[in-house]
Amino acid sequence: MLIPHPLLGPRDAQEFTYLGDASLMARPDPTRADAEAAFSDYVFLRDNPAGVHRELWFHEQGDRSWLVVTRDTVTHEILGAELARDVKLSREGME
Amino acid sequence: MTDLTPITALGAETARMQDFGVLRIAESTDLALASLSLRAGQDAPTPFGLTLPDAGGWASQDGQAAFWTAPGQWMVEAEGRAVEDFAAALKAEAPGCSITEQTDGWVTFEITSERATSLEALMQKLVNLDPACLSCGTAARTGLEHMSVYLIRRSDTCLAVMGMRTLADSLWHTLATAAARLPSEA
Repeated sequence: MLIPHPLLGPRDAQEFTYLGDASLMARPDPTRADAEAAFSDYVFLRDNPAGVHRELWFHEQGDRSWLVVTRDTVTHEILGAELARDVKLSREGME
Repeated sequence: MTDLTPITALGAETARMQDFGVLRIAESTDLALASLSLRAGQDAPTPFGLTLPDAGGWASQDGQAAFWTAPGQWMVEAEGRAVEDFAAALKAEAPGCSITEQTDGWVTFEITSERATSLEALMQKLVNLDPACLSCGTAARTGLEHMSVYLIRRSDTCLAVMGMRTLADSLWHTLATAAARLPSEA
């Protein structure tokens, strides 16, 4: 399986390690009144879609960047990859 | 003071070098290394007049060289300066950047061959990389038999393999075995 690294081009998936759902980047605010319930969902609950899924991959044997990879869990087709840093910064820019 | 004798990464008093047909693998013992990282919002410096390369690149000038390791991060190399405090010299050239001494963390094997195709044939056996990642002036980090290595294509006839120093013997064994098994026409 090849992962299209946004800076380095196609790289063997063996260079990467998988972390999980990209929604982990949206950590709840611990000062909110409903923080306990929000953290319960954040830590324990995951969607398990048959289809397009956004997930975090770490380029461990590479440039050590975190990527958000969009993958179809049914076909294993990789639809795209972005630097997690860019995703986070653009999300903060929108808030 | 105790009389200490310096040894190479492979445990000998002198650097190891061995020929395998057209390929020569030589341990490099005098290469100084230091990593350079930019702080947030900082512009890239030009240490020793060297323009730091873009993603996947390697650039050299007057005995110093640098290759890209991550966004805003490079490894800077200096030939023949392993016994000096090279990190301090680099710090003076790149004020404000984070500099870390790396010389003792790595072992470098320079693989040379008159035939560029033999270097490529060797790497085809060892790493799963697009050959474009091994063209002249590029540097790539990848896995080689479960070891993490940097591959630096210094010229058509020279490819450096840089691995963790504690794995020096394993890395030499891997490279030497693959080189010895390479068909002579490669």
